[in-house]
Amino acid sequence: MNGVTTVSLVGVGGQGILLAAAILAESASAEGLDVKASEVKGMAQRGGSVLSTVRFGEAVWSPVARRADVVVAMELLEGRRGLDLLGLRGTLVCAVTTRIVPGSVLRGEDDYPDDLAEVAAERGVRLIALDAEALARRAGTLRAVNVVLLGAASMVLPFSRESWQRGLSAVVPAKILEVNERAFALGRDAVSSEEVGP
Amino acid sequence: MERTLFYSGNEAIAHGAVRAGAGFACGYPGTPSTEILETAAGIPGVHAEWCINEKVAMETAVGASLAGVRTIVTMKHVGLNVAADPFMTLSLTGVNAGLVIVSADDPGMHSSQNEQDNRNYAKFARIPMFEPSDSQEAYDVLAEAFALSEEFDTPVLLRSTTRLSHGRGCVIPRVPIVLEPRDYERDISKYVMVPQYARVRNRLVLERLQRLRARSESSPLNVLEAGTADFGIIASGVAYTYAREAFPKAWFLKLGMSHPLTYGKVVRLYQQVSRVAVVEELDPFLEEQVRGLGLPVIGKQAIPADGEIDQDIVFRALEPFLTRKPARRRRPLMPPAPRLSAPPEADPGLPVRPPVLCPGCTHRSVYASLRRQKLTPMGDIGCYTLGALPPLLALDSCLCMGASIGMMAGFNKALGRKAAAAVIGDSTFFHSGITPLIDAHYNEAEGLVLVLDNRTTAMTGHQGHPGTGLRPDHSRGPAVDIQKLCEGIGVRCATVDAGDHPALDAAIKAEVAKPGLGVIVALAPCVLMVREKAGEIVVDDERCNLCGVCLDIGCPALAPAGETITVTDVCTGCGLCIDVCRRGALSYAGASGAGAEDAG
Repeated sequence: MNGVTTVSLVGVGGQGILLAAAILAESASAEGLDVKASEVKGMAQRGGSVLSTVRFGEAVWSPVARRADVVVAMELLEGRRGLDLLGLRGTLVCAVTTRIVPGSVLRGEDDYPDDLAEVAAERGVRLIALDAEALARRAGTLRAVNVVLLGAASMVLPFSRESWQRGLSAVVPAKILEVNERAFALGRDAVSSEEVGP
Repeated sequence: MERTLFYSGNEAIAHGAVRAGAGFACGYPGTPSTEILETAAGIPGVHAEWCINEKVAMETAVGASLAGVRTIVTMKHVGLNVAADPFMTLSLTGVNAGLVIVSADDPGMHSSQNEQDNRNYAKFARIPMFEPSDSQEAYDVLAEAFALSEEFDTPVLLRSTTRLSHGRGCVIPRVPIVLEPRDYERDISKYVMVPQYARVRNRLVLERLQRLRARSESSPLNVLEAGTADFGIIASGVAYTYAREAFPKAWFLKLGMSHPLTYGKVVRLYQQVSRVAVVEELDPFLEEQVRGLGLPVIGKQAIPADGEIDQDIVFRALEPFLTRKPARRRRPLMPPAPRLSAPPEADPGLPVRPPVLCPGCTHRSVYASLRRQKLTPMGDIGCYTLGALPPLLALDSCLCMGASIGMMAGFNKALGRKAAAAVIGDSTFFHSGITPLIDAHYNEAEGLVLVLDNRTTAMTGHQGHPGTGLRPDHSRGPAVDIQKLCEGIGVRCATVDAGDHPALDAAIKAEVAKPGLGVIVALAPCVLMVREKAGEIVVDDERCNLCGVCLDIGCPALAPAGETITVTDVCTGCGLCIDVCRRGALSYAGASGAGAEDAG
């Protein structure tokens, strides 16, 4: 809405969603853009789905939005749920090999969804599917799944490499900066230019 | 130029307060207010402390203000209910150095037991209120709030909501304000609220309200913003940002200082446009005041009176009113029935993730024992409130902080027997569980009080409390021993390792059998602070008959798999499932057979 881009980051509590959102926001700020973000903490977080929203543009008023232009999902089920934030457009960057199985599925009451690619295609959503765990492991730590995905998302977001670097340096603690820089680069490289398209 | 910072509203409030010369910060943790004090504790030159509850925080803040130090006190919306007693009379005494009270409201109840609009407290106490709409405004407004507090000799309410407190935005830092010291001066007629002095102060409060309204008229925080459309919107706080995004062409009366309301600017908005709407979350707080001026207004008949709103809700709600020709109205204007928020959207068929007690949480051990007793469990507020949800269904009530013990006492007194137990966390016990325990002892109430002592205020993110001695700057002070405290009152008390399920179970059984009142402290540090796997748990498929006893404890690590149970990798190895299994089907890896010997 009004030249503002909305990126929603989704996953399960403890996956580093708030950190990824902070890097994204700092990077947008480094581009000289106005940025607002919002998240919900507290009781909603205990083992629950987490949603963090970052909005940037020339002037951003509201910190929240029902629809996103890009969804970054740290987990497959949350990515499937995140499709509803996109509607009939946009891009979903999803860690498709990461599955955190909810209790209702373990108890056999629900099925874990396996229709992400089909539904994304039906709705005209561009799906960037990554084995983010493998890339994070290659970078040096499984905990960097969030930054791998951010690296992949960087291919569809209009920030310079320098702005992303400034975002990473501003947010990531110094002693784990290097491994996160590697994770970011691996995520970025994993997205081929043809996947991104015009 | 200094670097633009990217602050949450809570961080902005803390930094803005210190920039404005605040030297003292206190409060009690509560979502969404908690990070204000945590941030303040990390800024040099400010003393920050968690108080035992919001009432004590309010009183501590008043003391610091009288001593001449600008002070900020923080709490969530329901916390101000706890602090309402000192708060209401503080309006009469006024302050010395500036005193800002932050109330962080939670529309939509993301993490709260109710949804209340604390703007009403500003009106109730006749004090000024500020409602910033983003992080920069939150940062900047503290200077004006402290200055106003001192100029008008009044506490000031700074009202935030979840989306301001936990939203983030760019903040350009400002030059710190240098203050002249303010000495404390004895003034008995101002600070001693006996009736003859209070009557005089009360008149001054009413006069002050008039002067504050004049200030609100001239305040640059209340801005009439020109638009090109023939309609105007009155809004404050984060609701302003939603309205601004939904209707970029509208006229706006943006209220940064929303109490007392500027009548003059409201009337001037009506002179510019033919239709006016008030966009506000929760109560028709501004709307009713506009109606009081005899002006027609679109408000709660369009904007839901419950839950959170956003730009889409605002647009869809107002669009039909603002593009349509205004109806000709007869006076008097009857306020229309308020609209409610849309019911939750139909689930798209995907599995949900409701909040649950963490794997390895020892609250589960308490609940597994407690439900074997024929007692009505009165609950309280904290992580352990999640025990009320399926499959545990372990609590019958959750009213407010500290309610469990008084409710238990009343229930048991009324029935004349030990029919109810109280379940209360350590931080909540200190917050407001001690006085009802003393009362229960004095009134000779029967009952069992279970203090779930996980050595922290877990739900809000592991803050310290008097039982741990941990302070917000991570230093340690003296700690209060719950067992000695109970024994000092004269109440029987035992402390049991909550991780030792058989011992806990035996202690609860023994205490229930005794007459009178007793406390059991179920002690085990929060599993999120331990993060050490106690052992690998394996399932003997031959012994398991899928009876479901272990599944009834609601552990996210256990799941049925075909004819047996599977233990997933979120298991912490706490071993509660081994203890509750009647067939010895679960055991620690390498200790096979141990479970079988225990099976009776």
